[in-house]
Amino acid sequence: MDFTRQQFLKLALAASLASIGAGAALAQQGEILVGATVPMTGPLSLTGKQYHNSLRMAEQDINAAGGINGRKVKFVFEDTQASNGTAVNAFMKLSQEVKPSFYFLSSYSTQNLAVSPEVKKIAVPAMYAGGADVVAEGGNEWLFRVRPADSVSAAGMVEAAKLLGAKKPGILFIQNDFGQGGAQIAAKLLEAAGTPVVGMEAYGQNDKDFSAQMLALRSKGADVILMFVYPQDGALLLRQAKMLGMKMPIVTSSAALVPAALQLISPGDLENVSGVVDAYMDPAAGGRMKDFIERYRAAYGIDPDPYGLAYYDGALIMAEGMRKVGTDPKALRDWLAQLRDWKGIGHVYSYDAKGNGVHDLAVVKAKPGTKTFELVKTITVN
Amino acid sequence: MADFIQLFVNGLALGSVYALAALGFVIVYSATGVVNFAAGQFVMLGTFSGVAMMVNLGLPWPIGYGAALLAMVAFGMLFFTLVYLPLRASPVVTVIIGTVAVGIILQNAALLGFGSWPFRLTSPLEGVTLDIAGAVITAHAALTVVVTAVLVGLIWLLFYRTALGIGMRAVAQDMEAARLMGLNVNLLLALTWVLAAVLAGIAGLLLGPMWFADVNMGDPIALKAFAATIIGGFGSLPGAIAGGLIVGLTELLGASYISSAYKDLIAFVVMILFLLVRPQGVFGERIQDRG
Amino acid sequence: MRLRHPLLAALVILVLGGLLSLVLADYRLRLLNVSVISAIAVIGFNFAFGLAGLISLGSAAFVGFGAYSLAILTTAAGWSPWLAMIVAIVVTTLFATIIGTPLLRLKGHYLALATLGLNVSFTIVATNWIGLTGGTNGISNIPGLSLAGFAFDDERRFLWLALLFLAVCAAIAIALQHSRHGRAMMAVRDDETAARMIGIDVTRVKIAALCLSAAFAGLAGVLFATHMRFVAPEDFNYAHSIVYLAMLIVGGEGSVAGAIIGAVLLTFLPEWLRFLGDAYLAFFGLMLLLILIFLPTGLIGLATRVRDLAKKTAKRSTP
Repeated sequence: MDFTRQQFLKLALAASLASIGAGAALAQQGEILVGATVPMTGPLSLTGKQYHNSLRMAEQDINAAGGINGRKVKFVFEDTQASNGTAVNAFMKLSQEVKPSFYFLSSYSTQNLAVSPEVKKIAVPAMYAGGADVVAEGGNEWLFRVRPADSVSAAGMVEAAKLLGAKKPGILFIQNDFGQGGAQIAAKLLEAAGTPVVGMEAYGQNDKDFSAQMLALRSKGADVILMFVYPQDGALLLRQAKMLGMKMPIVTSSAALVPAALQLISPGDLENVSGVVDAYMDPAAGGRMKDFIERYRAAYGIDPDPYGLAYYDGALIMAEGMRKVGTDPKALRDWLAQLRDWKGIGHVYSYDAKGNGVHDLAVVKAKPGTKTFELVKTITVN
Repeated sequence: MADFIQLFVNGLALGSVYALAALGFVIVYSATGVVNFAAGQFVMLGTFSGVAMMVNLGLPWPIGYGAALLAMVAFGMLFFTLVYLPLRASPVVTVIIGTVAVGIILQNAALLGFGSWPFRLTSPLEGVTLDIAGAVITAHAALTVVVTAVLVGLIWLLFYRTALGIGMRAVAQDMEAARLMGLNVNLLLALTWVLAAVLAGIAGLLLGPMWFADVNMGDPIALKAFAATIIGGFGSLPGAIAGGLIVGLTELLGASYISSAYKDLIAFVVMILFLLVRPQGVFGERIQDRG
Repeated sequence: MRLRHPLLAALVILVLGGLLSLVLADYRLRLLNVSVISAIAVIGFNFAFGLAGLISLGSAAFVGFGAYSLAILTTAAGWSPWLAMIVAIVVTTLFATIIGTPLLRLKGHYLALATLGLNVSFTIVATNWIGLTGGTNGISNIPGLSLAGFAFDDERRFLWLALLFLAVCAAIAIALQHSRHGRAMMAVRDDETAARMIGIDVTRVKIAALCLSAAFAGLAGVLFATHMRFVAPEDFNYAHSIVYLAMLIVGGEGSVAGAIIGAVLLTFLPEWLRFLGDAYLAFFGLMLLLILIFLPTGLIGLATRVRDLAKKTAKRSTP
């Protein structure tokens, strides 16, 4: 090896610059804090667990990829329970004691609505996954949604019903923000399409027997049933529909097709069932999707669902934004607001003026005799 | 008509579950004057004992059911020793809040132990369905109705035909007098809690396969059991059954013929009307103010 | 610490709360606000339960009735929050009188479960009457309170307002408790027949206790709505009624100070335990149980016992 003097000088310069760089990184004091308020106890923890896991996975992945320009991220979680008040407590505890540069809120609209004024007050960007359109209509410029809005889900389900040739659709919905909102939107869309619903039946969040509602829809002559459900009752509904000998096709909202729900039912219960999912998650898609699903399984021993994936994508968007414009809340918010065509694992994200980032979802149909699904169509709604 | 029969049959099955939960509730109330707000969590614990024995440990069902019920016996004794005995001298309302605390503990301990994913507990009669006049019902749901009926009979025999049961009723009516008569009051009270826990266990094991097992299932069950108890009459065994069935049937027939959105309102309005018109319930004895 | 004088109690609340409002940061101020709002409801509930012996498990429905009344009047009808506040409290009290009066024929657990049913029914109606209540999405963008250009729009400022209300409520409650009316309520609680014998109109006393408790609950609801600026059915379900009862029992039934202490403790306790992670609510339940077992007369009872003990030792030491 024969070094010329010039080469030596260059190397020395590079080394000293690097050490200055390292010093600068130290001066920034390490970690970037990210707050996440997640339902970890109570009935909503079934879904909350998924994004609790996937956010932890995102934290590791971001740090393994060199963090944010050399700084590590650290996620701090607080429990929201199934309570709006507790969700606000959790958010304020974080904003007071941790002072994160970014937040992830829960996937429940009423919690998002309750926390929204506080987010506005502290003016730090936050991602949320509650579906209700009213959250985005609230005009809070700091909120960014990482899932399709309920109106998108409803439009997707109506589209799926049309594909099945529905003439006399019936709707069955859970009595909460998601079910009530989705059912109303779907009913309007069906009306506009010239196939008004023949019946709309509601059930309570804790109901265990749905025969009255299903038989009512059947006796009104429903030829397709659209059901707006949560995971557990969705699974029970699908089982009871088969028990009651309901022959018409069923289009379900995404919750009945998450792994937590699917593990409760048999392939036979999925006969003639199609549905919408936020994102079509099949390892066969390969690439990043396969990698995400497999690593998630390995880390947590359960299958990931689209809720978890949405938060994972959201965390990676946040990381990229921080790399580009730093952690200044205003700069980060503006960067998110102008984000277009960001290719996540689940979706291509483009934020509109109301903070909706996802405009597409997938219609899927159960493969006969299995609990796996095939993609029927991807639907984009603006 | 076929639909009506189907609804009726389903209503009976649903009502049986409420009735079973209400039974444990009534037995505790009549013996101790305590409204057990953890009654729903008792049932949840029963279901999860089944999950632990049959899903986690993989025991075959006859052994699994037995082991789960033994666990409930142990739980009943534990509850008596650690919760009821220390609180016994306190005002009844304090004991009631104590049961609320126990409910919170049980629900969250179950969350820590079993996680938030629901379980499916299979039935020994899995997949068998019966056809009753055009209505379809799972053999398991039919079994639930039968077991409920048999249990009521057994409990009636226990309370009215055995010395033990008569002793328990004596304690329920007047604890001091029972003590003066030389009855072992503590033992009888302990037995009451054990019996309530076992009944909750049976309810839990039966409803596990019909619904799913999840750690938050307690409160909704308790709420319906309360309604059933009031309609049937506090402290009355046949009342608990009648109340459970009325609530189950109201829920389904109300949803079908009146409004599915307001069906629970119907059940609770029926309950409040019962309270106003006939506070002693369908079978209740004359009201005594137990405060 | 046993406060018998209404004005003294109000002063203590204002001074203590005012000092806390200066040293605490937003998150704890919020919890304090939540405590104060609950305390007002619990002080009200103390009339029905602590004094008149009526076990009502429907307090949250009355709180909700007040909150929804204000939310609807201010958002849909565009009223001033202050005017809406007065109307909401009046409407809540009327509602309680109309609904509650027939229920008052019931006693003990019958009343408890009937009011529990009332609470469940309230939640069902609030959930399904979408045109009026917004259904499960609730009502957002409720205007905050302001007075002569001073907006009570952050936690600290809101606390000052809430403390003022609490001080007034506590003073009223203490004054009433030690008046003829308060003693009449207690007489009804202790022995209805005896109360009737000495010429107390039992029904009227019970209705009065219920109305008072509903008026306080209505005020708590109004404050809830203007603090949270958002109401949804879930905020007023029956579990909240049980929590109010628990607050009173833990603090010490029959005592205004107990109601306040119980409300503060049960609001802060789960938040303090958050460091335990997923196990924190299990521990919360355990601590609640331990308090009930070891302090059967509540925290106020503990204070009394300590004082009595101190007196005894003092007597012994002075010959």
